Amino acid sequence: MTSAELSAEAAAAALAEQESGRSLSRRIALGLVVAFVLLLPATQPLVGSYNYVMQVAIVALMWVAMSSSWNIIGGYAGYISLGHNVFYGIGGYVAGLALVYWGVSPFVSMFFAGLAAMVFGLLAGLITLRAKGPSFIVATIAMLFVISLLFDNWELVGQSSGLSLPLPPFSVIWIKVPFYYAMVVSAFGATYLSYRVAHSKFGLGLRALSQDETKAEVAGINTRLYKMVAFGLSAFFIGTAGATWGYSLGYLRPTIFFAIGTAAQMVLMAIIGGRATVAGPVIGALLIVGINEFSIVQFGATELNIVVTGGILLAVLLFFPLGIVGSLREAGRLPAFLDWD
Amino acid sequence: MINFLQVLILGLLLGGVYALMASGLTLLFGVMRIVNLAHGVFIIFAAYLAFFASDKLGVDPLISIAFTMPMMFFLGIIIYVLFFPRIETSARYVEMTVLMTFGIALVVEGLLGYFFTGIFRSSRPGYATDSIIIGDIFIPMGQLLALTVSVVLLVGLWLFLRYTRIGTAVRATMQNRTAAQIVGVNVRRISAISFGIGMALAGASGSLMSYLFPFFPARHWQWVALLLALIVLGGFGSLKGAVIGALSLAVAAAFVTDQFGPDWSPMTFYLALFVILMVRPQGLFGKALRI
Repeated sequence: MTSAELSAEAAAAALAEQESGRSLSRRIALGLVVAFVLLLPATQPLVGSYNYVMQVAIVALMWVAMSSSWNIIGGYAGYISLGHNVFYGIGGYVAGLALVYWGVSPFVSMFFAGLAAMVFGLLAGLITLRAKGPSFIVATIAMLFVISLLFDNWELVGQSSGLSLPLPPFSVIWIKVPFYYAMVVSAFGATYLSYRVAHSKFGLGLRALSQDETKAEVAGINTRLYKMVAFGLSAFFIGTAGATWGYSLGYLRPTIFFAIGTAAQMVLMAIIGGRATVAGPVIGALLIVGINEFSIVQFGATELNIVVTGGILLAVLLFFPLGIVGSLREAGRLPAFLDWD
Repeated sequence: MINFLQVLILGLLLGGVYALMASGLTLLFGVMRIVNLAHGVFIIFAAYLAFFASDKLGVDPLISIAFTMPMMFFLGIIIYVLFFPRIETSARYVEMTVLMTFGIALVVEGLLGYFFTGIFRSSRPGYATDSIIIGDIFIPMGQLLALTVSVVLLVGLWLFLRYTRIGTAVRATMQNRTAAQIVGVNVRRISAISFGIGMALAGASGSLMSYLFPFFPARHWQWVALLLALIVLGGFGSLKGAVIGALSLAVAAAFVTDQFGPDWSPMTFYLALFVILMVRPQGLFGKALRI
């Protein structure tokens, strides 16, 4: 063996060691995050009744679930949907109706709510995914308005005045905790799903068709099926998050779920963090929730909040369209703890 | 029979106005491949201009077109220069324009809401409640005037595109951007002018809206969804398609209103959109879209 070969081998071994060290430190970091998230409610007795941190955490986890889910169709497949909050509303209403008419707890029915959202997503995908590019975006907006119009006029769901839900049977001190854990399930589920999709042949197919659909088709990818499945999968955890959120509010109203601003937030979070990356939507969601909380504290709950949302979207598109994770990766400076791909 | 004729006439009157509103949107797509989600919010912005001119200064909404159009023209050029040349070379350009105009729409909606509040507005010139009665048919005066204005502006737009040098350059850019550039068209200048014209058409539409349809800032999503639906029906970027789409859908919506009540009339547009996507995704007059 020549010395050159030897040193190459040594370098490879060192690299492998470094790699395994990285994956170990990553595992530890992940373990710490999970432990922190799971143990956060233990602080509840210290705070007493209303826990602001817990409320913000619930909101943040909800947005993590939504933007990670949106990323599956909007990021990996490159099909921008501006009507994804339809699934949020369907989830909320399915769980709410099950509670009002059959007395099923939304913490149980949230999975069926997610399933309902997914089935609806597959059916809606049959129609909307016939279009590409701008026509697809228009079709998703139209989907949102059709559903919103239906719920506004449908007597079973209380029309535009909505439904009141019975109060959850928990003591006041602990009331936020089950909602918190339900959102943890949605957020972790969505992130894990996004991770699994990114690391599968299916995800590779989605990325291929987002680059060039004809070539992907030629390479043997059933693009219509792939897009539909992506659309359906992206609906599931948005549905479960909607179910939890509706129950935590105590009432359901079309304006809560079907405002296009909700879709705008999902899109913004995924884009600011980095589309088509696993970590991006999570980072984006946490960042935007932070900014929103800050601007509500600073300016109060006024219309200026959507000015902030729109302004950030414009700034990101103009100056770093790849988002935080994408831009860092391109510069070769992505820290290991953000590299989940 | 009388009822049928009445509904048809009301539908056509509205359709003419929808065609004017959609013309700016489809022009922007035709020339620059910009899907302008902010079109609705700019119509509403112009409607506020017209409303306050009428409310505070007593300017008639139809007269206000004389200043909403030039103001929106210049605003359009400013917005074009600020946002669009930067993304011209981006890989997913059409999609970028959607996201970009989505952001613009949110910002403008928020500002309108902040300064003018969310209450319904509508100006009330004398003719808004007048009507002409011919036999058993009644024709609302305000809508007739709005239709006249729309037809005049649309014919003007057509003549401009057909018979002026700039209009020819705009059409050349629509057909083939690169080729237009090769034969000496200053494509970026033409794009800025087209954006201005599209916005000026939104300005005129806003003046009409100020007395035809009560408005508030968040209303613009419904408008832009409706306009986009009829543009998808007609085919993206086709002016003829936009006009035909507007007229046919407005008539269909008028019949839906007549049969099922006004709550369901927007449904016509969205269902028509879904049907057209199933049958002919490129729209009635559109070429198959390359992105």
